[in-house]
Amino acid sequence: MADEFVKGLGLFTGAGLGWLVLAGWYRTESFESPRQLIAAPPDPETLFDAIGIFLGDVFFWTALLGAFTFWLLVPAINQFASRGQSS
Amino acid sequence: MTEDDTQEPKTDGGGGTGIVAPDDETPTWRQRKERTQGLSRLTYEYFERARREDEDLRRESDYVERDVLAFPTWPHEIVRNLAITSFFVGMILFLSATLPPHIANPANTNVTPGIILPDWYLYWSFGLLKLGPLNPELSILGGAKLMSDRTYGVLANGVIVGFIAIVPFLNKGSARRPVEQPFWAAVGVAGVTFAFTISVLSVKNLMPMDVHLLFDLTFFAPFVTGCLTYAVLKTMREGYMYDLNRRYYRLRPPK
Repeated sequence: MADEFVKGLGLFTGAGLGWLVLAGWYRTESFESPRQLIAAPPDPETLFDAIGIFLGDVFFWTALLGAFTFWLLVPAINQFASRGQSS
Repeated sequence: MTEDDTQEPKTDGGGGTGIVAPDDETPTWRQRKERTQGLSRLTYEYFERARREDEDLRRESDYVERDVLAFPTWPHEIVRNLAITSFFVGMILFLSATLPPHIANPANTNVTPGIILPDWYLYWSFGLLKLGPLNPELSILGGAKLMSDRTYGVLANGVIVGFIAIVPFLNKGSARRPVEQPFWAAVGVAGVTFAFTISVLSVKNLMPMDVHLLFDLTFFAPFVTGCLTYAVLKTMREGYMYDLNRRYYRLRPPK
């Protein structure tokens, strides 16, 4: 169980850090605006911008789905499986 | 080493060998060989060596079992502290390289800024000044308020500060971990959450959400986190081994 927790935590924090940086680059007009990290990204001018904006979304969903998978889904499946075995 | 010839209660429970596994718990060669891979092997060897050193120390006659057992400074704590230090230094370098802070124009001392905010660690107090909607309109006064919203906010600061000032005079009890006192742990978590939500409320004009919803969440979120904490800790308590702590502290048995 502890292994599953640290896997989810690693995905959540690692991917969350990547998302934070890329959202700070592409989804923040100004660090004094009320819409930081969530503003719509600009149209990519270069290939690197396109990759960065795409990777930001990848990191975002990796963080959410990773935590969801290892903190909820896998333990639930394990519990269900062990309950099926014991009965 | 003297064992079993004294009935005097010890902080580690008396029986057993404290922090070191007794001889019959020493891992077999088969168990040792099962850990063959890189980091897990290294970690295992490290702890196994520490265990072995402690076991050798124990065999010497002048080794006294202290009330509070601890790890040696070298290498255990130094290595751990180096790892933690490296992590935070690396995080500072990473964030300063990828998200360099915006340096604003120098302040113009001749102009009063449009939005005046205290430093971020005083936002909670600033948020308490914005509790106007909680100021009751008393029907006995014909729908008027007993005091102005400003006075009400200042008094709210007095209530919170007064409550915190009482804390050092409360008996802290014998619990050393949140799981041993789920209720008070829940109160603490709710308080920390409230400190955060009231701080967010103080900059409500910068928050991208409805102000009324934010005001309700300010008081609802601490309640939710408190209940969650209580439920989780109460559940954990069933699997919690109080004997673990008895090695370090004399504990009151749970009710």
